[in-house]
Amino acid sequence: MALKPAELKKLKQTALRIREQIVEVTYTCGGAHIGGAMSQTDIMVALYYKFMKFDPKKPLLPTRDRFILSKGHGGVGHAVILGDLGFFDQKELADFNKTGSPFGMHLDWLKVKGVDASTGSLGHGLSIGIGMAIAARLQNKKYHTYVVVGDGELHGGPNWEAIMSAAHFKVTNMTTFVDRNKLCIDGPTEKIMGVEPLKDKFEAFGWKAVVIDGHDFEQIADAVEQSHAETEKPFVIIADTVKGKGIDFMEGLAKWHYAGLDEEMKKQALASLRRMYKNG
Amino acid sequence: MPTRDELRARLFLFAALPLVKIVREDDKIMRTITRNMTGVVQFESKDSDLAAHLVFANDTLEVKRGKHEHPTVSFIFKNLQGLNDFFGGKPALPAAVKGLYRLDLIARTVPLLLSLKLLMPNADPQKPEKRALKVKLLIYMITAALSQLNKAGEESMVKMTKTSPDRIYQWIVQGEGGPAAYLRMKAGKTKSGRGVYTRRRPFVLMKFSDIEGAYQVLTSKAALVDAVKKGYVVTEGAMEYSKEIGLRMQFVEELLA
Amino acid sequence: MAKGLTWTIDDADHMTQAEIYGEVLTKLGYQYKNLVALTADLAGSTKIGRFQKDFPDRFFNVGIAEMNLFGMASGMAASGLLPVVSTFAAFAALRCAEHVRTDVCYQKRNVKIIATHSGTSFGQAGTTHHCTEDLAVMRAMAGMTVIAPADAYETARAVVAAMEWDGPVYVRIGRSFEPPLHKSMDGFDFEIGKAIKLREGTDITVIATGRTVPGAVEAAEMAANEGLSVKVLDLHTIKPIDVDAIMEAVKETRRIITVEDHNVYSGMGSAVADVIAASGKGCVLKKLGLQDEFSIVGYPDDLLHYYKMDADGIVEAIGQVMKMDFEADEDWEDEI
Repeated sequence: MALKPAELKKLKQTALRIREQIVEVTYTCGGAHIGGAMSQTDIMVALYYKFMKFDPKKPLLPTRDRFILSKGHGGVGHAVILGDLGFFDQKELADFNKTGSPFGMHLDWLKVKGVDASTGSLGHGLSIGIGMAIAARLQNKKYHTYVVVGDGELHGGPNWEAIMSAAHFKVTNMTTFVDRNKLCIDGPTEKIMGVEPLKDKFEAFGWKAVVIDGHDFEQIADAVEQSHAETEKPFVIIADTVKGKGIDFMEGLAKWHYAGLDEEMKKQALASLRRMYKNG
Repeated sequence: MPTRDELRARLFLFAALPLVKIVREDDKIMRTITRNMTGVVQFESKDSDLAAHLVFANDTLEVKRGKHEHPTVSFIFKNLQGLNDFFGGKPALPAAVKGLYRLDLIARTVPLLLSLKLLMPNADPQKPEKRALKVKLLIYMITAALSQLNKAGEESMVKMTKTSPDRIYQWIVQGEGGPAAYLRMKAGKTKSGRGVYTRRRPFVLMKFSDIEGAYQVLTSKAALVDAVKKGYVVTEGAMEYSKEIGLRMQFVEELLA
Repeated sequence: MAKGLTWTIDDADHMTQAEIYGEVLTKLGYQYKNLVALTADLAGSTKIGRFQKDFPDRFFNVGIAEMNLFGMASGMAASGLLPVVSTFAAFAALRCAEHVRTDVCYQKRNVKIIATHSGTSFGQAGTTHHCTEDLAVMRAMAGMTVIAPADAYETARAVVAAMEWDGPVYVRIGRSFEPPLHKSMDGFDFEIGKAIKLREGTDITVIATGRTVPGAVEAAEMAANEGLSVKVLDLHTIKPIDVDAIMEAVKETRRIITVEDHNVYSGMGSAVADVIAASGKGCVLKKLGLQDEFSIVGYPDDLLHYYKMDADGIVEAIGQVMKMDFEADEDWEDEI
């Protein structure tokens, strides 16, 4: 089902706003995982602003949909979205990374409202998500669980334990995204430790897999709806993304995995974002 | 390595024969028959040093290992096989009997020996006192037999005792007056004893529910697996070693058959 | 008190340590409606599979994938369930230590871990299946409660107590054929964090944990035969540790021997040392256990002996600490 033009416009506006805020926070706190935060933003905006059910005033609402950012270093992007939605006062983000702040590179569910699992150590999120999804089924609850994993993250064995078990336990009330930005810290994933053919791997493990443009809201929305409709196999959306998306001097470069911005770079970053969205 | 005959002789002479003392204490009729006997009755074989003798004196009976200097009566067998056949209840007579003139002694010793038939697999008394006596005799015999296997140098038993730390294997029949016996082993040495060993806790403890439960298990009427299920016996302690000692018990049973 | 445990002592007589655990967990399943059980292909070996019979929908076997095991348990605990996880100690505490730490302890998830085949209790399986480091690892995880029950009865009481306890709990047991210490399920007090005083004494204290406890009692009895007064503590909870009981032993006896089926580095003995050192009081401490070595293959009871963690080893240690010799029994003739 296609997005209505008004819906699409709103999502793009939100994505721009979120990206701008990520740049601001990165600038203020002295450094952040900005590359990955950029590549994941459209996926997360689609989920948080179109699909997921929750109440920012009741972060532990038992009927809420769950979201796990398994690639926990994307926390800066997650925190910005949660602040934007009103889970907490956005002003608190000014202390990001500072001593005593609830916000660090990797979000702590005990400290940041709206976070469902404290991730950061890679390879845990799928297992935790499966636990949550099975718990829903067992207790006849209708909430859906969303997990976003990184592509480099999929180097790790524990992911595949989880992937195998999701098929075995027929976990269909969970939707998984792979933020396939094709880079890890030391370079391109395919050079460091190749993960391709990724779609084939998931399918071999008994999943249904689709590959989409991770920055196209219509494709994202379509894929999520397919996942919701799927009743036999666990569903993964391999989102082809660009690390640093929207900031032209960052796009596709490994070195922007984690970086700081000075005044000049911040200006350029914001300008680049506005250019990207001006074209619709 | 000891021969099968040597092993059997040890078991008969040092594990089974000593039980006549228990029979005499337990059975009033036996006490009457053997009242006020005086003299030494010996059992020996021409081809071995293995021997044992009964010492009757002051209305008591002591059983001793080895040869007496001047036995009153001596049953001398041609060889250990003959001795074993005799004690095993087969028709077998000693090659010679020294002191045959003491018919009184012989005549009153024979019933005592015959009483040991109670130990045999085909002896299935119905009276509760007799069943209780059989159980007592069996557990005293088994523990002594296991120890004797080790002292004889029997390969599988020595393997078990050689490297053993100071360990107690205890058999107990629960209930009032239930008999008990133990086997202690330590670095190649063994000692069997009657009653409960008190100086330390058992390493393996076989607890029979009562006389009847013990009877069923020890006479092999109930296979050990069923016996555990039915609650006749509970084994506590080191699992691998209770299996091991069970196998040794079976070996003793085979030897005496 | 062991609420709702209605089967008789006779049943327990015939059950091994792990079987009692399986039965107890199943009974608890009726009491705690949100209790789920998980394992990694060790349902049969750890006896948690007993739970599956009564609650097939609440039982999850994830196959030989311990990291997924704990991640899932964390996610379930986050979503209103009460997960009990069972696998071998080596895999629970080491293979997925990070998952236990990050997904369970750090995220404050109410997950109960029953780790079987701990220490050298898996004898013949050798070092890869032994775990002589789990107390050290689990102690160091903030928020984890660490218990090593002495026998099957204590295991049952520990499991019940763990359900009532708030937060993650790690209970380490043997392979299931450990000898009983207590005479019945209810014949003793069990409280997490409170050592059980098995014997009073004034000359020396033996503090034991897990499967070494019965041997400690036996050693004390043997030493008593030689005129020594030995205090024995069953320190089933390593964290939170019973400081009062240890300090009482320090004051009363000034000599402590600790025994654990574990490396003497960073285990229970070290935890006791922490308490003694912090108090500033003088006290002799001798630690029995594996002296920073990996274990050999052997029957579990032989390993207790080999590493001097059995009654004989403890008696020897008592002798060394007290500088006394014990009479050997010289009569090796069969009673006739």
